[in-house]
Amino acid sequence: MSASESQEAAGRPQSPRSFAIAHQRPRSSFVGCSKIADYEVLGKLGEGTFGEVYRARSRKTGALVALKKIIMHNEKDGFPITALREIKLLKLLSHPNILRLEDMAVEHPPRSADKRKRPIMYMVTPYMDHDLSGLLDNPSVTLTEPQIKCYMQQLLQGLEYLHANRILHRDMKAANLLINNKGILQIADFGLARHYEGKTPQPGHGGGEGTRDYTALVVTRWYRPPELLMHLKRYTTSIDLWGVGCVFGEMLVGKPILTGESDGHQLELIWDLCGTPTIETMPGLKDLPGAEAMSPKPRQGNLGQRFREYGSGAISLLRELLKLDWRSRINAHDALQHPYFRNPPYPAKPEELPSFEESHEYDRKKYHEKRTVLPPAPRGGTVGRGPNNDGDGYRNSGGPGGRGYPRNNNNRNFGGPAPAPDERVPAWHRDTRLPPRPPPPADYGNGRDRAPRGGGGGNRQDVDTYIPSYDRDAPRRDDRRRDDRRDRGGPGDRRRGDYDDRTRSNRTRSRSRSPLPPRDRDRDRDRDRDRDRPPRDGPPHPR
Amino acid sequence: MTMAHMKNPLATPDQIFHRSSLDSPPTELRDAIFFSTQCLTQAAGILLQLPQSVTAQANVLLARFWLIEPIMSHEFSDVSAATLYTVAKIGPCPCTPRDLSNVYAYLLSSSSTFLSPPGNNPPKNIPDDYYQSETSYQAFHSRILSLEHLILCSLSFDTTVSLPHPLAITYLQSMDFLYVPKEKITRRVVEYLNTALLSPQLLCLTTQPNGLAVAAIYNAAKDLGAKMPECEWWEVFDVDREDLGFLVVGMRSLEGWVGGMMGEEGVLGKKKRGGMITRKEVRDILGGDRPPQEEEEDPEVVMARRMDEKMREIEGDAA
Repeated sequence: MSASESQEAAGRPQSPRSFAIAHQRPRSSFVGCSKIADYEVLGKLGEGTFGEVYRARSRKTGALVALKKIIMHNEKDGFPITALREIKLLKLLSHPNILRLEDMAVEHPPRSADKRKRPIMYMVTPYMDHDLSGLLDNPSVTLTEPQIKCYMQQLLQGLEYLHANRILHRDMKAANLLINNKGILQIADFGLARHYEGKTPQPGHGGGEGTRDYTALVVTRWYRPPELLMHLKRYTTSIDLWGVGCVFGEMLVGKPILTGESDGHQLELIWDLCGTPTIETMPGLKDLPGAEAMSPKPRQGNLGQRFREYGSGAISLLRELLKLDWRSRINAHDALQHPYFRNPPYPAKPEELPSFEESHEYDRKKYHEKRTVLPPAPRGGTVGRGPNNDGDGYRNSGGPGGRGYPRNNNNRNFGGPAPAPDERVPAWHRDTRLPPRPPPPADYGNGRDRAPRGGGGGNRQDVDTYIPSYDRDAPRRDDRRRDDRRDRGGPGDRRRGDYDDRTRSNRTRSRSRSPLPPRDRDRDRDRDRDRDRPPRDGPPHPR
Repeated sequence: MTMAHMKNPLATPDQIFHRSSLDSPPTELRDAIFFSTQCLTQAAGILLQLPQSVTAQANVLLARFWLIEPIMSHEFSDVSAATLYTVAKIGPCPCTPRDLSNVYAYLLSSSSTFLSPPGNNPPKNIPDDYYQSETSYQAFHSRILSLEHLILCSLSFDTTVSLPHPLAITYLQSMDFLYVPKEKITRRVVEYLNTALLSPQLLCLTTQPNGLAVAAIYNAAKDLGAKMPECEWWEVFDVDREDLGFLVVGMRSLEGWVGGMMGEEGVLGKKKRGGMITRKEVRDILGGDRPPQEEEEDPEVVMARRMDEKMREIEGDAA
């Protein structure tokens, strides 16, 4: 039978082949990408890892979506491999607590434009109202225990699914957890995720043993587990569970719990909380490359005390998640069985949760940076927020009815207008030292183009007046860069199959010229740079 | 997701049917192009020392791409290079554009034995033939990157390909290798599966991996005279008799078809020196009833070439 016959057969009903084809179950087949014109762009949401994020409405389904633009810098290596990887992973995943990649949309450059310009790509995901980081910083929002339990359950279920499918997320943090007003939490930003080799976590056995090396340059510092800070390369799914512990603590107290200003400082904060490591609490400690030069002042750890007000159940789960021994750190499956979820007050059901005004990490940064002139809050030790300060501080910041600011007016020079003198500032303000801010949420950012929603948000307004000053943290960044250079480039790493180093350098190359800075700094600086210059093209034009 | 690893998006009947209407050369010619290009990808994969799992995925992506884009819209060898580049990039062994450029330049030169008719003397190796100047490298590079983009968009970024090879091994293990020497039957099965990638019948786009695996085992068992279970064993692997019959014939027929095509009367046999078929040749065969579309050349490339020429002149003068 020749190929030409088979070709004809496709059109002939009596052939068994065409019969079979005609009776095929409907499957996802390969159709091309959507056009950007299939979406009505409603406004810019913020900056993500790859590029800008827009809110849009699908013209086909009417659904609200987020469009994440993938920045192409005419790179030498073509389409960014991080984006390709993220897309490939997301296409394989399907779980209620994982952000769904619904579509890819393409925007062709106008014909008259430079011929070598390649089309712009957008990742299309459902629109989510909040990210957890933004939500926690919204002064009108106080999470109740049933609500925290509900979010934790969803987070752990999503993570259990990822780990069971051999995926390490590697960037667990509040800003990457998206929440909608139906109470659903979804894990987002798979830009650092990858497949791992070896056994999936077994009930009762934590994360198990690592089977091979990966790059240790992952996870935003505040959420990075001690073993990564000490450069363990053979890590496991347990690195994500540490991040869950940090997020859990953050939900309890309302702000990040371990906000180190350097890798060394981060470790010190961890020892403050969990006690200094010993052979018993952290077996294998001596073999970690980063452990050699370390001689911390012995201390017990104040976790129990610091979280006393949240009850023994919460403390017990937190201890399991923030266990120094990464081998016995609880896995997602076992954490879901923890008594914390079975004792009253019981976890709320997602549909019972209240809805809130949209809040994104992007907004929060703005608010905090607004107040950078004020002295830093004591760090590390303070628990809880100054409840009376918060709300007012926010409400006053924008003034009632503050909408109508011109869009994208945040592109003024450094040292622009100082915060209004009468602005009140919460006592817990913490961003004065500009730590390696977790990058802006990959998917969503500020909501300044949106009308405020109902639901207890007060009349907080988004204002673009603040221009932060960045100069003061420059030296620290240099330190950090030196640190990370030392880490990088173990021999043979590259050909071995973990392409993160390469990946990262791609991204870096594409976005900045400094040699291989770490991810979070990279992002920070990029964001800074973006603020510092005129807005890009604005929302894509529907065609 | 576990199941997702075993399934592929398939071609719709519509796509297969419309393949011929997409400004395409006649079926015979189109199939020859398809086959040659898939072989080119395989040859490049070997020279680039890529694992077959990578090269095979590139074969499948290329086949998918040509269901969506007209086969004549880009130079065939460029499409081959771009799919291979993209797949390698996501996988464990990315290749550099420079390596890619060198390998394709070699394979397309008259010094390579690629698709040279059997019996021909090996061609003389003339390194100048496949020397890549900076200009030609830049031009190649920019063509590959725009094609990469086009391919990704056409496939909606669905770059996952499930290959039948691992499944076939699992099936063989579950059947105790049909009580023949493991290596022998496994090799034969893999040969059938790799050949299926080249098939212009698009077996890999119309059948899920389990079907291909079962058919390859069936064929290999026949070839080696191995005794298969008496029962309808393929049903255990979710393949029905009709599908199996079609695949078995499809896989077996390829050898004869290639023989015909490479023979004196065949499309590829008529090419005296062998080698990769080009769009120009196809247009020539079609009788040039269509004016050859002058490719708009990238002004920067033109400029770079002029500078190269100038440099050569200067160097020549100096010498």
